[in-house]
Amino acid sequence: MSDKIYRLGCDIGGTFTDFVLLNDETGKIHINKCLTTPKDPSDAVEEGIKELEKGVRGFVGKLNEVIHGTTLVINSIIERKGAKTGLITTKGFRDVLELGREIRYAPYDIFSEYPEPLIPRFLRFEVDERIRSDGKVIKPLDPKNVRDVVRQMIDMGIESIAVCLINSFENPVHERMIKEIILEEAPEMSISISYEVLPQIREYERTSTTATNAYVKPLTGRYLSRLSNRLKSIGFDGRLFIMLASGGITSVDTAVEFPVRVIESGPTAAVISGQYYGKQFNIPEMFVFDMGGTTAKSCLIQGGVAGVVPTFEVGRVQRFMKGSGLTIQVPVVDLMEIGAGGGSIAKVGKMGTLQVGPESSGADPGPICYGKGGTMPAVTDADLLLGYLDENYFLGGEMKLDQEAAKKGVEELIAGPLGVSLQRAVWGIHDLINETMAGAAKTHIAEKGGNPKLVTVIAFGGAGPVHAYGLAKKLGAPRLLIPPIPGVGSALGFFTAPRAFDVLRSHKQSLEDVEFSDIELIFQEMEAEAGGIIMKAGEKETIIFERSLDMRFIGQGSETNVPISVDNFTKITREEVRELFDGIYKNLYGRTYPESPVELINYKVRARLPEHPLQLPKIETKVSSLKETIKGIRNAYSPVVGDFIPYTVYDRYLLFPGAQFNGPAIIEERESTAVVGEDASISVDDFGFLWIDLK
Amino acid sequence: MAMKFDPITLEILWRRLISIVDEADSSVARTAFSSLLRDAHDYTCMFTDRKGRELAQGSFATPGQSGAMALGIKKIVSSLSKDSCKNGDIFITNDPWALAGHLNDVCVMSPIYYKDNLVAFTACVFHHSDIGGRVSSDNHDVFEDGLFIPLVKLYNRGVLNEAVMEMIRWNVRTPDDVTGDIRSQIAANHVCSEKICQMLEETGLENIDDLADDIIGLTEKSMRGEVAKIPDGLYRGEGIIEQREGKGDVIIKAAVEIKKDNVIVDLDGSSPQVDWGGNVVFNFTYAYVFMAIKSMFDPQMPNNEGCAKPITMKAPEGSVVNCRFPAAVAARMQIGHFLTEIIYRALAEVMPENVIAGSGGTPATMNVFYGKRNDTSPWHSVIIRGGGMGASYKEDGHYVSIFPANGANTPVEIFESDTPLIVEERALLPDSGGPGKFKGGLGRRVFFRVPDDDYAPSGPVNLGIQSGRFRYPAKGLFGGGDGSRAQFLVNNIAGDPYGLTQIKSGDIVIMDAAGGGGYGDPLERDVGMVMRDFLNGYVTLRGAREDYSVVIDPKTMEVDKAKTESLRRSLRKA
Repeated sequence: MSDKIYRLGCDIGGTFTDFVLLNDETGKIHINKCLTTPKDPSDAVEEGIKELEKGVRGFVGKLNEVIHGTTLVINSIIERKGAKTGLITTKGFRDVLELGREIRYAPYDIFSEYPEPLIPRFLRFEVDERIRSDGKVIKPLDPKNVRDVVRQMIDMGIESIAVCLINSFENPVHERMIKEIILEEAPEMSISISYEVLPQIREYERTSTTATNAYVKPLTGRYLSRLSNRLKSIGFDGRLFIMLASGGITSVDTAVEFPVRVIESGPTAAVISGQYYGKQFNIPEMFVFDMGGTTAKSCLIQGGVAGVVPTFEVGRVQRFMKGSGLTIQVPVVDLMEIGAGGGSIAKVGKMGTLQVGPESSGADPGPICYGKGGTMPAVTDADLLLGYLDENYFLGGEMKLDQEAAKKGVEELIAGPLGVSLQRAVWGIHDLINETMAGAAKTHIAEKGGNPKLVTVIAFGGAGPVHAYGLAKKLGAPRLLIPPIPGVGSALGFFTAPRAFDVLRSHKQSLEDVEFSDIELIFQEMEAEAGGIIMKAGEKETIIFERSLDMRFIGQGSETNVPISVDNFTKITREEVRELFDGIYKNLYGRTYPESPVELINYKVRARLPEHPLQLPKIETKVSSLKETIKGIRNAYSPVVGDFIPYTVYDRYLLFPGAQFNGPAIIEERESTAVVGEDASISVDDFGFLWIDLK
Repeated sequence: MAMKFDPITLEILWRRLISIVDEADSSVARTAFSSLLRDAHDYTCMFTDRKGRELAQGSFATPGQSGAMALGIKKIVSSLSKDSCKNGDIFITNDPWALAGHLNDVCVMSPIYYKDNLVAFTACVFHHSDIGGRVSSDNHDVFEDGLFIPLVKLYNRGVLNEAVMEMIRWNVRTPDDVTGDIRSQIAANHVCSEKICQMLEETGLENIDDLADDIIGLTEKSMRGEVAKIPDGLYRGEGIIEQREGKGDVIIKAAVEIKKDNVIVDLDGSSPQVDWGGNVVFNFTYAYVFMAIKSMFDPQMPNNEGCAKPITMKAPEGSVVNCRFPAAVAARMQIGHFLTEIIYRALAEVMPENVIAGSGGTPATMNVFYGKRNDTSPWHSVIIRGGGMGASYKEDGHYVSIFPANGANTPVEIFESDTPLIVEERALLPDSGGPGKFKGGLGRRVFFRVPDDDYAPSGPVNLGIQSGRFRYPAKGLFGGGDGSRAQFLVNNIAGDPYGLTQIKSGDIVIMDAAGGGGYGDPLERDVGMVMRDFLNGYVTLRGAREDYSVVIDPKTMEVDKAKTESLRRSLRKA
């Protein structure tokens, strides 16, 4: 093992594939970025690694692990490029997938769009069987009936089958029989059964999750095996891990079996980095803010831990409208995403006021200043005209920005029609997008019971550090933190991600009546299952199990997760479980009702391996005084003064530990620019983080 | 109009106001107990300026409540005398005539003071699942409906009026939940008040009067601009709503006058109020009239007094759409929900691309089940259901939702674990959508069985229904056909859908929700779409032929183009 000193994080995004190479011995980090190759994403992976090898010779053979994040799964759902998938369900219920929960997500809009189910009705088949809500078989399954249905599906050219029967979460016997019959009839068929994908009560959510898993399973399998082979062929013999939406990483085998858990790993990396920094620096409440070209994602991290929620919506057909996507139930990091980014378009709205976003010009054609044919003024155009960005140092000077064109665009399309000065218009665009983000952030923080006046804002993404100061001011946050390489640095999160896998069972029982020895048996079974899966991710390490219960007041519509720290249910009393529930409920919702009876709904186990420590690399001192880090003075807009004032421009690569200075300041690096107003002070720590205190 | 703020500052402050209500709104999710509030979001937060003019409401507000509140709070504020309102006061009321039309909707309202001056009011209405009383749609007066709280001070200058709280506690079945949720309302108002004062402090404004003028002014201007595009004229719509067997139909008449940039809705000629709980108060009628107009003219526009300004509504006192105290009002949705489609029908001819045909989810259906299990333990379950939505000029009606109200279904697996019943089927009904160029949304069957084995309940199962569309289907528009009717069958025999039904072990019950109305001539429906509907089982072979004149060969499973063409041609001639 001693020569395996490198770890590589590799994240495939919509436009770019990012690479972060870490030398565990020296703590040194190398980064690379190349264009994503949508046809075969592993092309970009191989190319990017070869480019990195030019700088770090022979590292591939010394790689201990590659941690891979991909948007392949979510994109294939959004673009409907998955397998021809069929569903087998209980007689009377083939429309579950289509009926959903029947709620209208936009109450006043009679033309709301709804997503098409991934499996059309003619590919949804029923078998005659029935299991009662307590798991007893009412009507046994007829194997001949199943065989006929399966043969019919094979004849129709179905490549992947989802199986989800009513009440199967209580008793999977019929689902397992169906799986065996499918394997007999078609040994190569891709199969997803609901008991294995999500053994949880509520038939729509379970069916939708199982159907989604089935839909993406064949292509995920093909892609990951291709990727493994390519990595082998260039000399990699370490372990390959796949990032999950929950923030954990897992083995290739598990990702192939449960691709729905992968869904979307990119945005979670920033949050995982945030968690790590939160713990490292002991920050009780941290607000992760990751602003890119199209959207801003954020997440509140309390005590170094981000919330994980059990539900995710894929492919919202009405942009960012909650309820307009396909529901899947897998553990995902609790992110809030809104349509606010550098490419967000500014225009004069119907009411005659300024509007910015959620429409975006994206990366292509992009804002006017990119000079790639964009004609609509965007946030980046305003940032440039405010003096925050340097037209000659965007992406380190790789891309010259067209200030004149941006100015003309804003004058003609915004300032003119609104009857305001150019200066008012560009500041308005910047300020309004900050207001939109602050509004969403306040609501998100309120939902989690946090306090915006106590959070430390940490900024990621190309546009994050440009807007973080304004956002922090609007939140009333006292402190802002900008990590090294914020533009791609979120990929650093890959190295701090726990190797973890979550399993779950539903079994509704009142706390009053449940036998704790029965619960213990369920948990032991689940731990054996989760342990088996996690073993694939690490050979000899000790597995850590975390148990929790989803509980609720009897009759309540939603559950509260209660972590249980003891390793055996015979060591805990009914009263103690009740106290734990009441404690958490009160914390979340302000009060509890000790006299109302509660019930257990779900049993959850997270199996994980000990974290690999990550040593943050210390920065070197390259200059002897602060003066030498100054690139120059630039006039930029100050909202306090209401006019352009001189900002000192610093070269981030030259800043040294202990450096301290006051705003107004602009700190430039290749992938991003931090803007700090005159009422704040900045200090640089040993690791190159910028700590900004706001007054 | 002369603006007091520049268009950028105005937008930023406007957004701030909306996000303040949203923040108050999301605090409810944390503090409310009832799942009706937490999960079904059956509550609305809003605030007004000091004159009671609505300025902003939560983004997820419920149409019935939000429309009624805009009107109700304004009236309440104007009725308060100058000295009757002090810093620290909190008002409470569930007067159906003052606010949202039934006792379960409880309103808590607080004045907001900044630097000792009254600057605004904040209010929220929560739907409380329990308000005491006799829980039934056939009550004879509002006294049977439950506890009536007139407008009183719950807090006087910051001091709780214990007597009011105690009075509430002793008149409801679940006092902890009800008072707990009232406290959550107080908390929501508190969030709103605090944030508004904070905004005033940050911006240096003394009050929000100018801001209110600009926001309301701009919104009104925009709404009026939309209305002015419609040719002047008087447009009429009518709705016939069935009542239980033996009672005559309820008629609602709407004359909608477009006069320059004004909409004047007159409901003169509508039936007198009824002797059961279907009566609708003026505010609730207005809420669903407003829902129709808002959705037609500009669904995206943020709600405030400005949207409502061009709209005037008249309804004869003592009619079913403007009932007099002390009429029973608990089942107001059974009639109130129809207002939206009646307005659509009236304006369809001038705004054909802004309306949808009648919906099977009008009115929302509510089923209350209760009984005893085999071990005699009691059980109780309430479910709400919709039907197929009406079609529009550009798309088929959505399959199965509640409209114009809203709500989620109860999963079968939850229902079966809460009750001893077995659901045999929950499926779309083929051919139930009204045929049309665009077809109405399909209705949905729920088929359940009372077990007669070891799980058989002890004694009968009681089933109470609030529903509609058993006799009168959802109507199509512009040549589109009607949706299918609702059905209620006990052991395959039609039951009484308007009362309390007792069912016993071994019985099977079918509840079919109505389909939505179609839009446009079915002969104009694309043959490929009919084929796709057929392949997916939304339309049967017979339906394709009879409703759409599309002939499909059952052997080849392909469209017989020649026969289809000639059949369609002959029908067009006729």
